Amino acid sequence: MEKVKIGVYVCHCGTNIAGTVDVEEVAKYAETLPYVVVARHYPYTCSDPGQELIKKDIKELGVNRIVVASCSPRLHEKTFQGVLREAGLNPYLFQMANIREQCSWLHEPGPELTEKAKRMVGAAVNRVARHVPLEIRAVPIFPATLVVGGGIAGMQAALEIANSNHMVYIVEREPSIGGHMAQFDKTFPTLDCAACILTPRMTEVSRHPFIRILTYSEVVAISGYVGNFKVKIRRKPRYVDEGKCIGCLVCQEKCPWTALSEFNAGTGKRKAIYTPFAQAVPNIPVIDTEHCAYFLKGKCRACEKFCDANAINFEQSELVFELEVGNIIMATGFDTFEASSVPQYGYGRYPNVFTSIEFERLCSPTGPTEGHIILADGRQPESVAIVHCVGSRDKNYNEYCSRVCCMHALKYSHLIKEKTNAEIYQMYIDMRCFGKGYEEFYNRISNEGVNFIRGKVAKVTDEAIAEEEKGKLIVLVEDTLLGTMLRVPVDMVILCIALEPRKDANEVAQLFHIGRSADGFFLERHPKLDPVATMSEGILIAGCCQGPKDIPDSVAQASAAAARALAMIARGKIEVAAVTASIDETKCSGCRICNLLCPYDAIFFDEETKVSRINEVLCQGCGVCAAACPSGAITHNYFTADEIEAEIEGVLA
Amino acid sequence: MEVLSPYKEAADVILEAGGEPLKLCYQCGLCTGICPWNMVRSFLVRRIMHEAQLGATNFGSEDVWTCVTCRACVQRCPRGVEIIDVMRAVRRAVASLGLGIVPDALRISAKNIAGVGNPLGEAPEKRNDWAKDLKVKNFASGTEILYFPCCVPSYDADVKTVARSSVTIFNKLKINYGLIGTEVKCCGESIRKAGHEDTFQSLAKNNINLFASNGVKTVVAASPHCYHTFKNEYPELGGKFEVIHITQYLASLIEQGKLKLSKEVNKKVIYSDPCYLGRHNSVYDEPRKVLQSIPGLELLEFPDAREEGLCCGGGGGRIWMDTPKGERFSDIRVEQAAAKGADVIALACPYCFLNYRDSVLSMGKAETMQVRDVGELVAEAMSI
Amino acid sequence: MSFEPKIVGFLCNWCSYAGADLAGISRLKCAPNVHIIRMMCSGGISPFFILKALEAGADGVLICGCNLGDCHYREGNYKTIRRMTLLKKVLGQLGIEQERVQLHWVCASCGDEFVDVVNRMTADIKELGPSRLGVKSRDLTR
Ligand SMILES: Cc1cc2nc3c(=O)[nH]c(=O)nc-3n(C[C@H](O)[C@H](O)[C@H](O)COP(=O)(O)OP(=O)(O)OC[C@H]3O[C@@H](n4cnc5c(N)ncnc54)[C@H](O)[C@@H]3O)c2cc1C
Ligand code: SF4
Ligand code: SF4
Ligand code: SF4
Ligand code: SF4
Ligand code: FES
Repeated sequence: MEKVKIGVYVCHCGTNIAGTVDVEEVAKYAETLPYVVVARHYPYTCSDPGQELIKKDIKELGVNRIVVASCSPRLHEKTFQGVLREAGLNPYLFQMANIREQCSWLHEPGPELTEKAKRMVGAAVNRVARHVPLEIRAVPIFPATLVVGGGIAGMQAALEIANSNHMVYIVEREPSIGGHMAQFDKTFPTLDCAACILTPRMTEVSRHPFIRILTYSEVVAISGYVGNFKVKIRRKPRYVDEGKCIGCLVCQEKCPWTALSEFNAGTGKRKAIYTPFAQAVPNIPVIDTEHCAYFLKGKCRACEKFCDANAINFEQSELVFELEVGNIIMATGFDTFEASSVPQYGYGRYPNVFTSIEFERLCSPTGPTEGHIILADGRQPESVAIVHCVGSRDKNYNEYCSRVCCMHALKYSHLIKEKTNAEIYQMYIDMRCFGKGYEEFYNRISNEGVNFIRGKVAKVTDEAIAEEEKGKLIVLVEDTLLGTMLRVPVDMVILCIALEPRKDANEVAQLFHIGRSADGFFLERHPKLDPVATMSEGILIAGCCQGPKDIPDSVAQASAAAARALAMIARGKIEVAAVTASIDETKCSGCRICNLLCPYDAIFFDEETKVSRINEVLCQGCGVCAAACPSGAITHNYFTADEIEAEIEGVLA
Repeated sequence: MEVLSPYKEAADVILEAGGEPLKLCYQCGLCTGICPWNMVRSFLVRRIMHEAQLGATNFGSEDVWTCVTCRACVQRCPRGVEIIDVMRAVRRAVASLGLGIVPDALRISAKNIAGVGNPLGEAPEKRNDWAKDLKVKNFASGTEILYFPCCVPSYDADVKTVARSSVTIFNKLKINYGLIGTEVKCCGESIRKAGHEDTFQSLAKNNINLFASNGVKTVVAASPHCYHTFKNEYPELGGKFEVIHITQYLASLIEQGKLKLSKEVNKKVIYSDPCYLGRHNSVYDEPRKVLQSIPGLELLEFPDAREEGLCCGGGGGRIWMDTPKGERFSDIRVEQAAAKGADVIALACPYCFLNYRDSVLSMGKAETMQVRDVGELVAEAMSI
Repeated sequence: MSFEPKIVGFLCNWCSYAGADLAGISRLKCAPNVHIIRMMCSGGISPFFILKALEAGADGVLICGCNLGDCHYREGNYKTIRRMTLLKKVLGQLGIEQERVQLHWVCASCGDEFVDVVNRMTADIKELGPSRLGVKSRDLTR
């Protein structure tokens, strides 16, 4: 074997490291370590000149092992491995010492920092001397993509991919795609009609030759890995044959049974056989067995009688099938905050306290009031209070800002002004109108004549203490700019409720092996540089499942996720990290302990030779088998016992 | 330019007392809106927080002494600001640094507490006189429970019944309990909230030593204020013993079947949550359980009950200060109770007892509305 | 000089190592006594590595993985639990205190929790004093 020659590069990272760690001393110390032929310190090692420096040493000094002491390998390991590769060196002859995130930033400044950095570099040097070149493998990827959730984000991602003639499956749990946007009348800041932009989108998706919509369906299991996922889907029975149904909806008309409409946020009714809204895609109804008289009592079948197409099928059962896809885009959106958990706002007690979603339905021509803004008793409101930040920016509920409610509160002011003569009060803590055209929108609505009261509402009550309060809802709030308590009597109160992670976000995250951030939304790989990827290779996120956002941002993120998936499809193959396990057949005793441990079923027993073998394509490199093998026959590459022990000795030196 | 902080030292004390959360206050004004004072007069809690943030507190203002420490605002503050701690620190700056004027009534109570160990200025040796005729033992080794009646029932002729009914119940059930000697002093909860930190420290030390030297393991407290400070503030000073509020204790006796209530009390009773039992310590159910175990008794609820319960006006040292008519929370409460059709307002706090008694009298409602302690009602239902 | 324990921390790449990074990114501060070694999964930490660390002079070994249910490799951390239970028995037989080897779950957004774990563990080991195993082997090598 060629003689080991190690090059060590200690990064200043501007002052991020050099401010508290004596980088020069660390480099000097590294030079004294065995096998080290050169040790340098450099302001920004990841910069082009920094990278050139390493390449030059590889070429000119014959350096064949590299240690970079800088930031986290999670940030730049790939960058530096690329440098090795470009210089003709195997990228695994490399080790990083994380002296920024886990040293200079993590401990109180003091001489101990430099000592610690030295030890970390020493350990990396000790370890890299034992590294061996690893073979880089490439596997073909399935060109199809799965999109989970058919809201605006899911549809956008699907269209971007399908338009390049690659297959997309959209799995949507509701009977129709559309998501929350389908519930809105107008959208800020342009006030264009939501249906006018959404309906054509939904139709485009449904007609697209490269998109298959699987509504009323959910993912129940997933196996495989980036490029080669196998996804198990469960399709709930609609009790309506999709092949036969022509979408005439006579059944819905004739069905005598009703339930509260989820789509109308509980403000209206729907039938037991129904499509959630008129423009539903697909335009095929479902039977809700919890309200259908036939399922409850064994009698009725009115729909069946009237369906000329013979599409009703009470015998339909659920269908479970498998899809093979290369990438998965999560676009499961958000749920809204339960307004009754703020008891002092009276939601659920006073019929004229509405949530924002309910109000969207009130405004919509297809909603329960056909777009008329009216009170529970049918009167038009003469005054309306719009309460911001309900369940947001509050440590008792959600600490984050929901980002869209200030804007939809302004939107409501406009809609109310347009349709009634009501006086409007906005009770806000801070106005957050940050997007393109948003401040202008704030301007425009202010000009329309809205009363802005800066203060968080303390209480909504119906206890009148003055004549003009009788029969009204009274909103108690401090106008913090005036420094006065106000009692504002109004007819209607709208609560701008928070956008929250889906109720099942935890289960879904576990199913797909992605993380969640502290606020409960899906965790992106990097908050700034990689907001669409997750820690799981091949699983991308878009829209509100990653955090509250408006439609423009949801759409932009969806397109970004699609681009990421397309890039992988275009490559056709992906390089799989060479970090896998391998079995030394001469050492394997054939005990088969590892066979059962592997989470990817990558280990099988060769009956002929009576030893276990690893399928390197399936192996994801977790190392569980290597840690368990009683014969020490399994090597976890890049994390071999030899290498780890060298690092242990290094850090303890 | 105007200099905002003439007393840097005081400003720092307040900022420190408010801790991290005070810095987080984003001036939403929710606290002002929640604070019960704004039902009767203007009291801008938010503004006080902002002044504290900037070190621009107006120490001379009457508002320094207004807060009743009811915790309604703290419970809802979206940023977790410990508003009461800030109020306390402002008062401390006035009381110990002399930056403003301590109201006369409070000054007298404070002097009494520091001098003779009780706010009423009564002789220490008379502390247990209320129980003279009741065959109450002194706490000795082997006594299981220390009954701690609070200064008000110990000395106030009207409120005595709170303590007397409790020990009558104990005697009847042959509970192994005792009273501690007359060296004991006021628990110090309220005087601490009124800014007299040193007094509190010395009271607490006195009591902790006394309890420790007597081997006290369990204290049953009549007042939620004593209960609160014993439970949440004494441990930091080394006082470690179990603390139970009398209503909790009665509820457990009922649950264990030791206490049986047989006599009907045919009354409509409305229960008022004391702030220091409810919001400060989340004890809502036990007093209600006790009342519901009384045969014949119909339990009513105030429109704002439990977490939303309205303060009687006596917390934070306000019990010693004068509140003008028209601004008394207990008056509002009495009106509410009457509107609900109650004959009795049931209480679980001696301060509440004082305030409600005064309200009922000054409103001329003594004929139609009784003010009773939960323990009294229990004793009645035991026919004792 | 006061006793400054040396602790070797094996952190899984996906959650715990990311959590430790986050602690640094958030500029939280913790005791410098834990020396982190990145592993792919907590399930891949061989008991021999832990013994090796103790033998090479570590006064404690910290093992961190994803919260149960969040392991990047599905159930690696369940295997970690099982392995740790066995290992603790062996350690007992060797006369090594239980607290010297600790297992904690630290998620990718748990920077503050990581800091907490490190500080608590450092305090624990300070209380225990230097590991006898480490001292012995250090003597031997000398
Ligand atoms: C009251 C209100 C008014 C708003 N007004 C505006 C506005 O005027 N302008 C604007 O720009 N933004 C507005 N927004 C924000 C806007 O709603 C979001 O930006 C947008 O809906 C996000 O789209 P999405 O696709 O990410 O999520 P969603 O619209 O929530 O769609 C997610 C889809 O995924 C499906 N799904 C969820 N979980 C699963 C699962 N496990 N399996 C399968 N399918 C699943 C859901 O059924 C749903 O169809 C408003 C928000 C609210 C609350
Ligand atoms: S967007 Fe506005 S209303 Fe919504 S949480 Fe943020 S500040 Fe509050
Ligand atoms: S390292 Fe071993 S256990 Fe892990 S995936 Fe590969 S073969 Fe399976
Ligand atoms: S409620 Fe809390 S955050 Fe709001 S003004 Fe009061 S103290 Fe500040
Ligand atoms: S504790 Fe009570 S009295 Fe004091 S400011 Fe808060 S709400 Fe007002
Ligand atoms: S990847 Fe973190 S414990 Fe398995």
